[in-house]
Amino acid sequence: MELFRLEHKKLWRKNSTKICVLLCFFYCVVFASFFGYQCMSFGSYKEHHDGKNFDGYENIRNCQAYFRKYGVLTDETLQEWVRDSQSLSAQLDEERRTQGAENPETVHKYYHTDLFTVNGWLGTLYPELERADMLGVSVMSGYVEAEKLTGIYGRREKAVDTFLEISGQTGAERDYLLRIGEKVKTPFSWKWVDGWSSVLGSMVSDLGVVLALFLAIVLSALFAGEWHDNTSPLLLTTKNGWKKLAAAKIFTGIAFTLELFTMVAAGTIVFQLIYLGTEGWDMPIQMIKMYAIAPMNMLQAEIYEFAFALLGALGFAGVVMLFSALCRNHVLALLMSLAVSYGPMAFHDRVPMWLEKMFDLLPLVGSGSDVFRTNTFHLFGHYIWSPYLLIWVPFAIGILCLRPAVKGWARRMRV
Amino acid sequence: MELSVDRLTKQYGKKIAVDCVSTVMKPGVYGLLGENGAGKTTLMRMLCAILEATAGEVFLDGKEICALGADYRDLLGYLPQDFGYYPNYTAREFLLYMAALKGIPRDMAKKRAQELLEVVGLNEVEAKKIKTFSGGMKQRVGIAQALLNQPKILILDEPTAGLDPKERVRFRNLISDYAAGRIVILSTHIVSDIEAIADEVLLMRKGKLISQGTVPELTKEAEGKVWELAVSPKEAKVWQEKAAVANLRHEGEQVVLRILADDKPAEEAVPCEATLEDLYLYSVQGK
Repeated sequence: MELFRLEHKKLWRKNSTKICVLLCFFYCVVFASFFGYQCMSFGSYKEHHDGKNFDGYENIRNCQAYFRKYGVLTDETLQEWVRDSQSLSAQLDEERRTQGAENPETVHKYYHTDLFTVNGWLGTLYPELERADMLGVSVMSGYVEAEKLTGIYGRREKAVDTFLEISGQTGAERDYLLRIGEKVKTPFSWKWVDGWSSVLGSMVSDLGVVLALFLAIVLSALFAGEWHDNTSPLLLTTKNGWKKLAAAKIFTGIAFTLELFTMVAAGTIVFQLIYLGTEGWDMPIQMIKMYAIAPMNMLQAEIYEFAFALLGALGFAGVVMLFSALCRNHVLALLMSLAVSYGPMAFHDRVPMWLEKMFDLLPLVGSGSDVFRTNTFHLFGHYIWSPYLLIWVPFAIGILCLRPAVKGWARRMRV
Repeated sequence: MELSVDRLTKQYGKKIAVDCVSTVMKPGVYGLLGENGAGKTTLMRMLCAILEATAGEVFLDGKEICALGADYRDLLGYLPQDFGYYPNYTAREFLLYMAALKGIPRDMAKKRAQELLEVVGLNEVEAKKIKTFSGGMKQRVGIAQALLNQPKILILDEPTAGLDPKERVRFRNLISDYAAGRIVILSTHIVSDIEAIADEVLLMRKGKLISQGTVPELTKEAEGKVWELAVSPKEAKVWQEKAAVANLRHEGEQVVLRILADDKPAEEAVPCEATLEDLYLYSVQGK
């Protein structure tokens, strides 16, 4: 325990660790969360769309207040939203015509009342109403006749069915996915979706990409750094030698990963609570993506995404520690760690589907937003919904790396 | 307690770093002398069980040291030649870290670290980071860490490198006090340090142990081979090229050379008393 405490202290004493933690905090919490909410994602547009104002908090409150009148997604509420949207669009046209420019407040209202989310639903559920001649000119809600938007839940079921067929999921696989989807309860609760869409679509799901970089920098020196500091002769001649030290290093790596993750997750959650509050937590994730089959609400999906990032980070920490133990040069260990994560990320979309699915199983290569997907893994005659594996396999890979890390380090240490 | 080395050999490819070294060490201070590349560090690393021997074995009281494992390391204190440290640690933190590695309980480690910082004269800078220390101060941290577990076998590879004369004297006194009932093995190029504290000297050359004995025993080997010769400065240059000159000093218009030679180098040369340094230089030159 004492050795772990001191090893942990040693890791935190390094300037590289302090800088990485600071940068990670700044990027994930200050930049992505605070600036994201206050300006970049939810700030109102400046005149002529020339950047955004620093007024996200107020805008979010307005958006949330606007959606309270809907409460539940039904044909009627959807039609009402479309009419409101068309009225805002007309108001913008009028402002352009009479004042020569749009009123930024109207622009913001128009764009931030779930414009893109609801248009996504319309395109998915009412493809026959889409006009080819209007593509690129206006969003669907701008021209669609509101009264034609009927039978929303029946259309959703049909759309999921068609989507699975187009994606090549047939037979037992399709039945398996539809069985999962049957548990999705209707009607859907409808509050302001864009806030949750931003949280689940990028803020939380992208944590892994950032964590991978900083974990690799800090942990690649955990074992390999001893060669750089030239301390191996000292370590090898002590009673506890490499064995207990290796265990202390492993626990230090895990502790650091948990600390870094906790810092980022806590910061993200605090800003989420400040800006979004808890409103809309009970909406189903289908409100973000209609094709999703997971019977989850926003809160459950967020818990999944955080768990995905945490388990992925722990798995990745295991891989980095393995490289660190096997290499005498911590720069090489760093490059290998980055390659194993960012390499598959870079080639993810250019490889065959089966390889893409394998890549997703590597720690921090997949994304927490896979909870919205309808992929499966076919193992031992059974279909398994991909998020079930995507959350555990990266963690298991990391755990499997720990023993070879200790053994490898021991072998390298003995000259 | 007896540390015996039996035909210990280390070979790197075709190069033999340590060549069939055998010796027996009992409590006392052992000084390892030899030029660079003589095999001192390699021998010490094998005695610490961190370097695998190509052939031969090391026994502690009849038991092979690798088989003793942690029990042997518990008795061991080691200062490597190129002592590595954690630059962002303070001297005190470094000692506490090493104490944890040596399995010393926390309270005892704190007490021991404090004592040793005072012994090596670093108590006033214990809160400063090691990276801010001078070479000599770092070396003293290294000496302190080697002594943390009060080892029965203390192996110090060039411990006085970087120490100023005052610190060297302090170190010599420390080792002399410490050595009672323990085996202390140290290597250095500073012959006077060995002369001052070593009970026995092991002289190495090209991986081989060429002599072993007390200082008087070894200096005896050089007796009759050390000469003094007074020459003009011009002649001194010639002598430096054709003979092994251990020392050179100016006396008025003349230069007095200390020459190492089996036979009298010149009619005017006079024999003089040999020192350990003479023997060292004599052996280094392969005479």
